[in-house]
Amino acid sequence: MDEKHFEELWEQEERQGLQRRLQQEYPAWQQRRRVRRTALASVAMVLVAGITLSTFHFPLSTRNYDSVACNRNGIAEGHWAAEASRILTIETL
Amino acid sequence: MKRLLLILMPLMLLACSHEETELPLYQRYAPRQDLTVAQVKGFQLGDTLKTDVVLLVADDSAAWAELKAEFDIRTSEGVTSWMGDIDEPARRVKRAVRPAWRAMAVHADRTVAFYRVDTEAQRQALMDYQMKTIENKQ
Repeated sequence: MDEKHFEELWEQEERQGLQRRLQQEYPAWQQRRRVRRTALASVAMVLVAGITLSTFHFPLSTRNYDSVACNRNGIAEGHWAAEASRILTIETL
Repeated sequence: MKRLLLILMPLMLLACSHEETELPLYQRYAPRQDLTVAQVKGFQLGDTLKTDVVLLVADDSAAWAELKAEFDIRTSEGVTSWMGDIDEPARRVKRAVRPAWRAMAVHADRTVAFYRVDTEAQRQALMDYQMKTIENKQ
C-alpha cells in the first residue's frame, strides 16, 4: 500500500464511520430521511407517468380530436369536431 | 432526487404544451372576414387512424356564392363532394391521388369541409366512419 492509497482508504473510512455514527445516534432523523426520499420518489413516478401519458397521447378524455383552431372567438372546440362528424354523415345519406 | 425533479419538471411542461400548428389551408382562409374558418387536427376516424379537417362556413349568402364560385361548385342543393388537390383544393383530382382533400360542400349549412387523405387506409377509414355513424343512428 502506498501513501496515496492509504489516504483514500482513510477518507473513505472517515465518511463511512461518520454515517454509522449518525445512524446510531440519530435514528429518528434517519427515518425522516427515508420518508422524504420515498415521498420524492413517489412524486417522480407521478411525473414520469404524466410525461408518458402526454407524450404518447393516451386518451385522457373521450374527445375525438387532438386540437382545434378557429378564426372566431367564442365557439366551443367540440362544436367543430361535431361538425366534421356530422358532415361526413350528411354526405352518405 | 431534487436534481431528478429539476430535470423532470421542464420535460413535463414540454410534453404538456401542445404546439398548435395551423394548416396552410386554414391559414389561407382564416383572415377572411366573411367566413368562419376552423381546423380540427387529429380528427379520430377509427381506433388508430386520424386525419385533419378544415371547415369553411360562409357567414351570409353573398359569401356562400363567392365560396361556391371559388371552388367551382355548380349545384345549389344537397351535398357536393370531390377530391381536391392538396395545395389547390378547388382543382379536382383523381380518386387515387395522394395526398388530397376529400371536400364536401353542404349547401344548407353554407359549409365546405375538407378531410385530408394521405393514405388508402385513411380513405377507407373515412368511409367506415360514415357507415359506422349511420349504423349508430339507426
